[in-house]
Amino acid sequence: MLAGIDYFVVIAYIVGMLLLGLYFKKFVSSSDDYFLAGKSLPFWAIGMSIVVSDIGALDFVGVSGQAYRYGISVGNFDWIGSVPAMLLAAFIFIPYFWRGGMYTIPEYLGRRYNPTVRTIASATWIIFFALDLGVLFWSSAVLLNILLGWSIWTSILITAGVVGLYTYFGGITAVIMTDVVQMIIMFVGGFALVYLSMDAVGGWENMVEKITNMGPEYRSHFHIIQPSDTTSPFPWTGILFGLTFVMANAYMIGNQAIVQRCLTAKNEWHAKASMIFASGLKMLIPIVVLFPGLMAVVVHPGLLDGDQALPMMIKTILPPGLVGLMFAAFFAGLMSSVDSLLNSTATLFTKDIYEPYIKKGADDKHYLKVGQVTTLTLLVIGVATAPISSDFPGIYVAIQTFMSFFQGPLFAILLLGIFWKRTTPYGGLSALVIGIASAILLNVFKANFFTIEDPFLYISWWSFLVGFIVNVVVSLMTKPHTAEHLKGLVFDSKIITSSKNK
Amino acid sequence: MLNFDWLSGISQEMAKNIFLALFVLIAVLVLMIPNEYAYEGVEKEDRHWWNNLKIWSIFVLSILFFIYYIF
Repeated sequence: MLAGIDYFVVIAYIVGMLLLGLYFKKFVSSSDDYFLAGKSLPFWAIGMSIVVSDIGALDFVGVSGQAYRYGISVGNFDWIGSVPAMLLAAFIFIPYFWRGGMYTIPEYLGRRYNPTVRTIASATWIIFFALDLGVLFWSSAVLLNILLGWSIWTSILITAGVVGLYTYFGGITAVIMTDVVQMIIMFVGGFALVYLSMDAVGGWENMVEKITNMGPEYRSHFHIIQPSDTTSPFPWTGILFGLTFVMANAYMIGNQAIVQRCLTAKNEWHAKASMIFASGLKMLIPIVVLFPGLMAVVVHPGLLDGDQALPMMIKTILPPGLVGLMFAAFFAGLMSSVDSLLNSTATLFTKDIYEPYIKKGADDKHYLKVGQVTTLTLLVIGVATAPISSDFPGIYVAIQTFMSFFQGPLFAILLLGIFWKRTTPYGGLSALVIGIASAILLNVFKANFFTIEDPFLYISWWSFLVGFIVNVVVSLMTKPHTAEHLKGLVFDSKIITSSKNK
Repeated sequence: MLNFDWLSGISQEMAKNIFLALFVLIAVLVLMIPNEYAYEGVEKEDRHWWNNLKIWSIFVLSILFFIYYIF
């Protein structure tokens, strides 16, 4: 439990975030302001928001734990597992979405394929985000319960109250601008821990020597490329095919919470720049979340649970004041994930479900109100479902696994949708359904098909391939959209070369 | 086949070179993007080398290449 100055830092952080978020209420007067910040934000704010939304408190602990067990190869997720995909998003996909004035990724899929694909994609995201909310509320409650001694329900209500208030009133502008502060806090806390831990292990070279001399299981701790026959979840084949080619792209190009941020940019340059700036910041993430796990191998060898690595390092390395800052950083990770889920789910529901199916053609104020009411409803659902995490401790992993079924097929239809004019609505629909089914099948029978510990990278690659092939085969047998329908929806080299004439 | 055992003959060193070659390929593709497209959205008079997004991308890719080369 925290005391004195640490307690003050955490409370000051919570109050500060609430006030900052509420300040942005005055910029919201339309649904465009609420969901896209009136397309007014600069690249640096969006880039910082992308990074902080991508890394939550659960990842802080989880990545450090994996670094403790498997070494530096975990960094692949933030390095090769982000940068190439973010550049592809910045130069090809984001300009299409931004120029098309889109609010959601399913909206693109609806225009490119048909409304059914849009609805399936949107409903899947909504279910996933809504379930995730409860898990995040529970995690933050456990954190506050340990740190400040508040009861679980007091902690849940305070988290929901603070994040809910500024997201309800300030929309995505409040979400992104609070993310900026949250990223700074996360980086300051993380780098302080790494700097002091480096001192404790006697410098980088000393740490490398100590770890590699600990035994055969530690010899590959500093090899970012793991052999294809490794029993760890990160063989280079999985990293290349599953992560680099599929999961990274599906996440950076197909994830509503990420892409929606770029759509708030004030112009196309800021939209592209936000993704590239975020890719630069992402390179620093492993230093903050992975290095403490590696250093813990020296400072606290023999931990039975690798996830204890980070909490142990904080407890033994950081002085008073910085402990509070580090926990504020944890809380920042949680808050940024919760506010992203709230606003993105409200956008998906309002734009992809409510507007097309429940009330078409209403005035803008009506949709703004629907977005706000949806945010409020999600808050209630999140709070009500939070205790499920207590009854089913594996639910977070279950939700992430469920999402990984969706990633490969989603990327297959996005990729073919934008690069191949011949892709048809039936091709996209069958690819999504059969691709997801194949991922579920591979996961259920994974013991029969795969030899590594957790084959999620392989499953995402193979389900992507199934989705891709099904899309091509079914598209060749069915009627495509007309050229007029596809205008502005399919990649044309003119989008790049036409800039020369301006 | 699903475990990529058909690639098991490739050594770790060779695999690392595949990753490094991929970064070089991406950098070449980025360099092929017309400058005008990289500046799209910036007024002509405000276009400088520091807001050329191709340079930003090459910088990030260089760091990535360096990390994979070292480890």
